[in-house]
Amino acid sequence: MRTLRRIGLYTGLAIAALTFIYPFLWMASATFKPLSEVGTLALFPTHATLDNYKTMWARAPFGRALINSLLVATTITIAVLVFGSITAYAMARLRFKGRPALNAATMGVLLVPGQLTLIPLYTLIVQLGWIDTYAALIIPYLFNATAILMMRQFFLQIPQSLIDSARMDGMGELRILFTIFWPLSKPVLSIVAIFTFMGSWNEVLWPLLVVREQHLMTLPQLLTVFSLGGGAGSIGVSLASAMVLVVPVVIAYAFLQRNFIESMAGSGVKG
Amino acid sequence: MRAERRSGSLMAAPYAAFLLIFAAYPILFALVLVFLKWDLVTTPVFAGADNMRMLATDTRFWRAVANTFVFLSIHLPLQVASALMLALALNRPLAFRSFWRAAFFLPVVISGAVVAILWSNLYATDVGLINGVLVRIGLRPVPWLTDPSTAMPAIAAMVTWKNVGFYVIIYLAGLQYIPRSCKEAIEIEGASTWQRFRFLTLPLLLPQTILVVTLSTINGFQLFIEPYVMTGGGPLRRTYSIVLYLYTNAFAYQKMGYAATIGVALALIIGSVVFIQRRVIGNAEAL
Amino acid sequence: MPSVHFEHVSKRFGATTVVEDFNLDVAEGELLVLVGGSGSGKTTILRMLAGLEEVTEGRIRIDDRDVTALAPRDRDVAMVFQDYGLYPHMTVRENLSLGLRLRKVARTEIERRVTWAADMLQLEPLLDRKPKQLSGGQQQRVAMGRAMVREPLVFLFDEPLSNLDAGLRAQMRIEIGGLQRRLKTTTVYVTHDQVEAMTLGDRIVVLADGRIQQVGRPIDLYRAPVNRFVAGFVGTPPMNFVEGRITGENGGAQFNADGMRFDMLPGRMPTTMPSGPVTLGIRPEDMEVDPQSDGPRNGSVAGRVVLVERLGGTSHVHFDAGPNRMLASVTNERLPAVGDAIDVRINGERAHLFVDDQRVSSAS
Repeated sequence: MRTLRRIGLYTGLAIAALTFIYPFLWMASATFKPLSEVGTLALFPTHATLDNYKTMWARAPFGRALINSLLVATTITIAVLVFGSITAYAMARLRFKGRPALNAATMGVLLVPGQLTLIPLYTLIVQLGWIDTYAALIIPYLFNATAILMMRQFFLQIPQSLIDSARMDGMGELRILFTIFWPLSKPVLSIVAIFTFMGSWNEVLWPLLVVREQHLMTLPQLLTVFSLGGGAGSIGVSLASAMVLVVPVVIAYAFLQRNFIESMAGSGVKG
Repeated sequence: MRAERRSGSLMAAPYAAFLLIFAAYPILFALVLVFLKWDLVTTPVFAGADNMRMLATDTRFWRAVANTFVFLSIHLPLQVASALMLALALNRPLAFRSFWRAAFFLPVVISGAVVAILWSNLYATDVGLINGVLVRIGLRPVPWLTDPSTAMPAIAAMVTWKNVGFYVIIYLAGLQYIPRSCKEAIEIEGASTWQRFRFLTLPLLLPQTILVVTLSTINGFQLFIEPYVMTGGGPLRRTYSIVLYLYTNAFAYQKMGYAATIGVALALIIGSVVFIQRRVIGNAEAL
Repeated sequence: MPSVHFEHVSKRFGATTVVEDFNLDVAEGELLVLVGGSGSGKTTILRMLAGLEEVTEGRIRIDDRDVTALAPRDRDVAMVFQDYGLYPHMTVRENLSLGLRLRKVARTEIERRVTWAADMLQLEPLLDRKPKQLSGGQQQRVAMGRAMVREPLVFLFDEPLSNLDAGLRAQMRIEIGGLQRRLKTTTVYVTHDQVEAMTLGDRIVVLADGRIQQVGRPIDLYRAPVNRFVAGFVGTPPMNFVEGRITGENGGAQFNADGMRFDMLPGRMPTTMPSGPVTLGIRPEDMEVDPQSDGPRNGSVAGRVVLVERLGGTSHVHFDAGPNRMLASVTNERLPAVGDAIDVRINGERAHLFVDDQRVSSAS
């Protein structure tokens, strides 16, 4: 009875896991299949081909999009970590006028759904003349309220005597932040880094609004436009272009799986 | 300290400025835009209550709202049930536990655009994987995304699939906090597995359930990339979402005032739905 | 070695006054202890001297240099914190040398000072460990080492021993005292523990509610506390207080309380006889217990034993004298039993009289 139940449990889990993994495996294999084979259930193509990738690469600037995505996501992640931690440090550990107001405003920002500010932000970008620039993709994301609150929460738990010691040792506030707080805050910093990077890497709606020129598009945007506009022409090509977006993430996920889960869950619960 | 105050203000100033420009200003300007007619090219025109009047009678908008409720009515129960089930399965001594968890979480880290493209192929009527399986076991293929009655449920199922790993983590965290003594006590009372779930686990997971419902509701109201990629809002506008309509008004029709009005209305709808949900679920527990 | 001067220093947080008009001169090479309960302002005073807390009013000087507005790093003082404040991600060696590196001290000089401090504090085997791998006492020594290598003008200690267990605390207390006497660095030491204050301090400042109650050598505080607060604060077990009145003339004045009569010693009374209520203060060690009651005699009090605590060498006898519960500390071999009627002889030379909580008679 007991073993029977265990077998049942593992079978159930295996089937469930398969439904989560198999579509991605199918997608990966489909990109290597010639058009005639895409409709089949077989996981391994009988005539493997790289044609889909060649076509995809030739028809749209995916290399450029990859660089754009990396540039945008990396810049935003670094900014959120550096600027965000500076802000969080001030909000957690320094007494200054306006601190309570800033705390309240940060909490308030999290309650406002993004759709409310989407259009006014878009008109702002238009008026600033930032349409079709990296600035439009990066600057509105330089600070992140969720990240600031998470870092602030972490910084609050670091003992005051460390700050005092560092001040007596002759450090300024920025130096205390980067040489004392940062090394002690690796867990929260890695969480913030992953969810910020992933958020930026996967974002579609905002780039769709502010970027129209193909060579400035980020990967998910180009992918969407490419697949929708019929540029792909076939399932294999469209899935091949999706692979450019998926492969780096899956590789990173394979190595940092625990950090990924913690950080995505953490950002959602806090935000 | 004077120095402390000075460094504090200096260090917080960029963020304060950022908040003013990219949070406070857009929120206020959203409320201004509601009263404007503006195509971003000519000068904005004061439109009084026109935008609101138009919204009230705009059947396309209300179609989108109704679609969202159809989406939620399928997505929410499915999401809660599947997340809870998987979490309960994972919350026992298992071999390869982190592998299972990682498998369920995999779609969460994949871009919504990719998932939408992948699933439009899986759902494809003639060459899709799902219909392939159906035909193999002797059933008739279903035109998932092209039949008005199945398109939204198909999208709801897909979104559930994409996000379930995330909510499993939330439930798993909640399950960790159920005290061992409670489980042992109810076992001594002679409760069956079902009774243990009904009278102990489920009530103690209420905070997580509220969180799951709230987050997936907000997420559901923000539905965009899936219909945008998979159906374009069709068939018969049955998968048109509110954000897709907002995007179309802003991007295709250049109606900034009206798009902003939709945004404000959406924020109000989300706020009141979440508020009502919390009330209802909270009361259910009191009973 | 420099001296430290507080001149009319006050500290307010909003409407709350934490320190009020604090004046104090710390002499060169002195170990001065600030002692008081929580909320007495002792830590705030120390942190103002360190530069970690802003001075609301007044001036702080180190020698002739006004440091009131200087940042901590410019004051040339070093501090040992209650929870040590060691950088958890750095080794002991890095913890010791960081302050010097930031001050651009030459590498060889840093090396020399770290070796010197490690040698004095027996830290050599620990230099490459992280704070987490050290015991509480070792962390404490590293914190002291970090202050020492700076060779500062003034050492500051903020309750450095209160995170240690009792045995270690006594040992570290001796080490700190010995170290300070060897280095002769002017030191300000904050504690809530009066035993620590009495054993360590060249002089002690007793604080309550942000005000100085008394400044003096330990023995002065013990023998001649200026008010009831200091009298009750200094000494363990604490002084007994009995409320009563003075009757009679200067020549043969008597202290009268419910269930207690006590002749005041001639010449120990203030010139003007207090007419209102007074408080008599007697330390537990200034009483002798006679296990057999022979009825009341002059200078003795009749009591009934309620509890006897045997500590080995000395014993504490708790007894009721009228409505007053009192405690006598005795070294007798012969101890009374609970419930016994006893006579307690009070050493009149050492009794204190308080009017309105201020001491009016001196016992010395």
